[in-house]
Amino acid sequence: MSADSVAAAQAGEIPIGQLRSRGYWRSVWVRLRRDKVSVACAAVLILIALSAIFAPLLSPHDPYQGNVVKRLAPIGTAGYLLGTDELGRDMLSRLLYGGRVSLFIGLFPVFCALIVGGTAGIAAGFIGGRTNMAIMRLMDVFYAFPSILLAIAISGALGGGFSNVILALALILVPPITRVAESVTTQVRSYDFVEAARASGAGTWTIIRVHVLSNVLGPIFIYTTSLISFSIIVASGLSFLGLGVTPPTADWGLMLSTLRQAIWINPYAAALPGLMIFVTSLSFNLLSDGLRSAMDVRL
Amino acid sequence: MNGSFRRLTVGIGLAAAFAAFSSSSVQAEGTLTLGMTVADIPSSKGAPDQGAEGIRWMGFTVYDSLVYWNLNQSKTIPVIVPALAHKFYPNPENNKEWIFELRKDVTFHDGSKFNADAVIWNLDKLFKEKAPQYDLQQRRAVAWRLAGIKTWRKIDDYKVAIGDNVPNALIPHQIVYVHISSPKHWADVGGWEAFAKHPSGTGPFKVEEIVPRERAVLVRNDNYWDKDRIPKLDKVILLPMPEASTRTAAILSGQANFIEAPSPDAVPRLKSSGMQIITNPYPHVWPYVLRLAGENTPMKDVRVRKALNLAIDRDAIVQLLRGMAVPAKGHVLPDSPWFGNPSFKIEYNPEKAKALLKEAGYGPDKPLKIKFMISTSGSGQMQPMPMNELVQQQLKKVNVDLSFEVTEWQALRAQRGKGPLDPGAREIHALNNSFGTYDPYSAFERFFSCDLLPPKGLNWAGVCDDEIQALIKKIKETFDPKEQDELLAKIHEHVVDNAYWVWVVHDVNPRALRPEVKGFRQAKSWYQDLTQIYIEK
Repeated sequence: MSADSVAAAQAGEIPIGQLRSRGYWRSVWVRLRRDKVSVACAAVLILIALSAIFAPLLSPHDPYQGNVVKRLAPIGTAGYLLGTDELGRDMLSRLLYGGRVSLFIGLFPVFCALIVGGTAGIAAGFIGGRTNMAIMRLMDVFYAFPSILLAIAISGALGGGFSNVILALALILVPPITRVAESVTTQVRSYDFVEAARASGAGTWTIIRVHVLSNVLGPIFIYTTSLISFSIIVASGLSFLGLGVTPPTADWGLMLSTLRQAIWINPYAAALPGLMIFVTSLSFNLLSDGLRSAMDVRL
Repeated sequence: MNGSFRRLTVGIGLAAAFAAFSSSSVQAEGTLTLGMTVADIPSSKGAPDQGAEGIRWMGFTVYDSLVYWNLNQSKTIPVIVPALAHKFYPNPENNKEWIFELRKDVTFHDGSKFNADAVIWNLDKLFKEKAPQYDLQQRRAVAWRLAGIKTWRKIDDYKVAIGDNVPNALIPHQIVYVHISSPKHWADVGGWEAFAKHPSGTGPFKVEEIVPRERAVLVRNDNYWDKDRIPKLDKVILLPMPEASTRTAAILSGQANFIEAPSPDAVPRLKSSGMQIITNPYPHVWPYVLRLAGENTPMKDVRVRKALNLAIDRDAIVQLLRGMAVPAKGHVLPDSPWFGNPSFKIEYNPEKAKALLKEAGYGPDKPLKIKFMISTSGSGQMQPMPMNELVQQQLKKVNVDLSFEVTEWQALRAQRGKGPLDPGAREIHALNNSFGTYDPYSAFERFFSCDLLPPKGLNWAGVCDDEIQALIKKIKETFDPKEQDELLAKIHEHVVDNAYWVWVVHDVNPRALRPEVKGFRQAKSWYQDLTQIYIEK
């Protein structure tokens, strides 16, 4: 923090909270950059994301057109770097396109759940009383079912398909995010600085915006990032069971499901979608761990 | 990622390695360990659930019916032969009834005598709601196969009459699915729940143990009434293994020595390990049952139906299945006496398909958009996911935009019973459900009779055709088998010429047996006889 900015803050030109926040996030970034595992995972995820985004440019073949004569070609076959699938479609192209679906299904439901669950949890924690009771008991209803079973039930009831998978995943991710948000908000609400702000005449929205959000968003965000890998795995699981995206969409879970019958003659090709799910979810998990460490001021 | 996680990972790895090594234990002699495609042990009360797979391994092993098939040969499609009834014939005084003369030398596994009372008691258990032994679960499992059985009566202790409200020559084809449970044992154990744990039939095997979702152990019935079919095996252990890869792993490791439906892609590996791969085409069809019922269905147009049949490259599908299928030329196999001579030739002709679709108003600018319900797996469903994806690719070439409603097998079965107009059908245009076509009723009546629309029967498509209806009536009144075949061929010609379904392939019933399993003659049937199998020492 420079002497100029401190002086500006003292003069009231820069809000204290913003000053603190900027320094905090900068130190988080510095800590994260020092963590080699996190940097490696971030690099892997960026690489996967870029290859998914630019899949139409990078794919050597149409991921949806195959030739049965060329089915289950091994890795390294001329013209098919990673071989072909059970219908003779290029594995590399399908893995690249599959990344689009799998990453989107991993990220978007988590984002939706963060908006809904975070808002509900913060509202429950800050308002308390009957509002807290109503929101949290509703979440308890969802908690009564194992999350994967609930996702299967929702997908089964609504039918497979891209949008239904996203809805199912978002619904199972809302309760845990709500619970974490409610817990940290309840904690922050009782801190002295919130009482002090209230005593000094700050309005409810000001307290929420300046004092509560700046203190609860970090833990909620860290927890939410840890759910991305879970979302990818559950989405892959639903596709594997036939309750997720429908054929011929290139999706790692669906590819794993259809290729498992070929594991006896082309095990490496059959394992590739599983490997992609594993690497992606592990990278998200480790990056989330690193982010948690970097954001923990006690460490 | 802390230390305890790493320790857990290592622990899981060691456990998996231990399981892999321990699974190669040696089987006891004379024990057939059979990997079924179902997910649970079929109900053992008499009328098994879990589809025809349940009937195959928990029906005809533990129980007998009044009639059976000659499954002890692999050359011809099996025909109905006497079983618990040593003689059966139409009642000369009333052509709505069949007379069944019963064997006098049969006892149930519990030692009680089989007689006419037992037959009546078993029909009552399925149809007489006020009977103490009435069992809704068994009724639901089997009643739809028994649409023609409306009356039954005891003539004497060893003679019964079973009939329809109209003359019905097809009754023996239906009565084969009525498995005879022991009335005395049911009374002794106090109801069906206890009976299911310790069942008693008259079949060649007796139940020793049932562990739900895990195994059923059957042992040889040394007192079996048919001396030629007293099992050579000591035991049969039924294992539910719905996943083809699991079954393959089980036979390779020695956990099973007989598995159903290995994945075609696993066959080279199985053969290289010395396993026997046994196939035999049988009356079975892997089709799309097209929705003619209701609104908003392009399948009402015969040009669309014919185009879909012409757009499918069946040879490519057979290639996908590594030769483990026969391209469909119709509803039944071409060597069936019911094939006839349809004028519409089912072949791969994409140009003709495009022309027909153009006539019907579809083309590159206005593709035909349709949705089919498919299952991820299932008894007799072969390899539904890749097969359907390949069909999807093939149809795209003729301007058909096919999407799927993917569902679980039991959910698809439930849907087919409710019919296409049920909200659960989600406006699908076809159902991908394979079927056995063993007998006149199974092959034609249940699918194409106006009287058997869902939920009453399996005519999911909603076909209601005066000519078929008249032919079905005539077949039921025709007791001469040769004349019956000629009439069935006419139905087949009419069904194919109208392209009521899209027929894709016929299954060849692949099975893998370990080298030491001998004596198995695979019948040209869904049902098989395990009694001649033995394990070579």
